[in-house]
Parts: sequence; C-alpha cells; structure tokens
Amino acid sequence: MSEHESMQALFALAAAGVLDAGEQRRLDEHARRCPECRRQLEIWSAYAEGLRQLPQPAVPAQLVERTRARVWQERAAAAGRRWDEWMLGILALFAWTVGLTFWFVLRIFTGGALVVMGANLVRFGTYSAVSTALVWLTAAVAALALGRRRRELRRSL
Amino acid sequence: MILAAAMDRDALRGADDVIVRLRRGDPDALTAMISRYQHRLYRYFLRLVREPAAADDLFQQTWLRVMEKIGRYDAQRNFESWLFSVAHNLAIDFWRTRHEISLDEGGDSGAAPGAGLRAGDPDALERLLDFERGAQLAASMHQLPAIHREVLTLRFEEDMKLEDIAEVAGIPLSTVKSRLRRALEGLRAAMGGRLSGRRRQ
Repeated sequence: MSEHESMQALFALAAAGVLDAGEQRRLDEHARRCPECRRQLEIWSAYAEGLRQLPQPAVPAQLVERTRARVWQERAAAAGRRWDEWMLGILALFAWTVGLTFWFVLRIFTGGALVVMGANLVRFGTYSAVSTALVWLTAAVAALALGRRRRELRRSL
Repeated sequence: MILAAAMDRDALRGADDVIVRLRRGDPDALTAMISRYQHRLYRYFLRLVREPAAADDLFQQTWLRVMEKIGRYDAQRNFESWLFSVAHNLAIDFWRTRHEISLDEGGDSGAAPGAGLRAGDPDALERLLDFERGAQLAASMHQLPAIHREVLTLRFEEDMKLEDIAEVAGIPLSTVKSRLRRALEGLRAAMGGRLSGRRRQ
C-alpha cells in the first residue's frame, strides 16, 4: 500500500479530531505535498463542521416541569412502599412478641390448663397452631389492603 | 487564560455542589440539573430513537434512574459521562423492548451504507455550509445505524473525548475509533449518493 493510499484511512478520523500526534503529523506532512489529499481533507472538514452545526431539535413544552413532577411522584410512591414494608415487619415482630407474652401470662393464670372443646389451648403446640393461623389470616388481609393501595397509586402515576 | 481557568474551577465546584444537593434529594438541585442538561440529553435521545415521544419518555426515565443511582455515583467520575451512560443503557432497553435491532448490534462489522461511493464533489464544501445542507446531513444521519448516530452525536454535538464516549457506550477505545470512522464514511457515502443523483438531473 502506498503512502497516499494509507492516508485515506486517516481522513475521517482527522476530521473528527481524534488522530494521535504521530498520525496527525504524518497526514499533515503528506497533505503538504499532495493536492488530492488536501482537497479530501477540506471536504471531510466540511462534513465535521456540518455535523457540529446540525439543526437543533426544540425541547418539548414543559419537559423540565413534567420530568420533575414524575420524579417526585415516583419517589413518593417508592417511599410509601418502603414505609409499608417496614410497618409490616414491625407489626409481625410486635404480633410475635405479644403472642409469646400472652402465652406466658395465660399459663400463669390458668395453671397450665385451659381446655376448650377437648383441646388444651395453653399447650405450646396447640397455642402455636391457633396463633399462627390467626397471624396468617391478619397478614393476608393486610396484604390485600396494601395491594389495593399500590394499584391505586400506580394508576394515579 | 488564568481567568478562564478560574471560572472553569468555579463552574466545576458549582456542579459538584449541585450533585451533593442532588444526593440529599434537594428538589431545586434536581430542577437545576434537568434544566442544565435538557437540550443535550433530549437531542441525544432524539438522534438515537428518532421519535419525539420516545425521546421525551426516555429523558424522564433518565432522571428517575439518576435519582435512584445518584447515591452510588462516584464523584471521581465525570458526571456527564455517567449521565450519558445512564441514558445509553435506557436507549438499549428501549430497542430491546421494541424488539428491534439492539443498539450494540450491527453496523460495526458490515460495510457502511453506500460504502464504495466516493463523494469527491468539490462543491460539497460550499454547499455544506448552508442550512439546507445541514438538514440534508441530519436526514442522511438518520439513515445510519443507531450506534453510528450515537458516536457522531457524542463526538460532534456533545464534543466528547474518545475516552468519554468509550465510557458512555461501554466499549473499548479502539472500537470507538473504528465506529467513528465507519459512521463518518457511512454519512459521507449517504450524502454522496444524493449529490451524484442531483448532478445527473
């Protein structure tokens, strides 16, 4: 490949101003001696200049305001979701603590036996089963209520 | 020169201050940043996706993502490169959900559109300078693959260095260089075809 041919590959990058110092020097030296390459470089420069001066698109009306409003709405919704999750965690811990405390108190007051329909409710296994069922029922109702709230929030965004 | 350097430092300090406030969730800082980048970021999306409604939505999504990620933003990095890399990833998601070609596919391996055509018209220089030619150039740019439109807009409209473009697009420096060359050659070929067509008339 002749020097003249090898220079062709550098034209576009020269126009983009991204040649390294060595490549730029080689191209400049060659272009000084070669009218055809000088002409090509001028044309490429015109393309680069044209790209820098492309017609600019107009920004849509109230883009900043709409973006800001959407960001804050989404942030408020996310904060609401985090709050709900925290509250659920705290409620679960609270329910577990109250249940356990109540079991101890019940055992003290009943002397370890509280028979209802043939089952000793104060026995650990029975008490755990009944309280777990009640907790799951409560959690299901809470989850349904939260799901409904989230759907409403999503619709409003 | 010294004054300009001092002003640059002040501007950088100002930008850092806004980013710190943005991290704290300051609404005024968010408004300031959106206002500052509205033209550039919207233009970037419009060049890439070519649909005003999609560009508008992607612009908004970018700021949602920025607010999600600003806590993890490394202040040592150039904020603009980081912002445009967030925008780049959203543009990729856009193409994927549209089931169209990925932003990262095509265009690098194949020949540029209209490759082989030579636009050696000496009159092109003069004609390129007017507004009509600018519109033609923009129309020709639209014919290029998305990855080529992206490097052209980042280099010539955003005036980004190769290193910053590499960071935005998540590609090696050598790929940016070859992509830029192909994009320019493709653009010239697309313009050249039109010019030769006019000459025949």
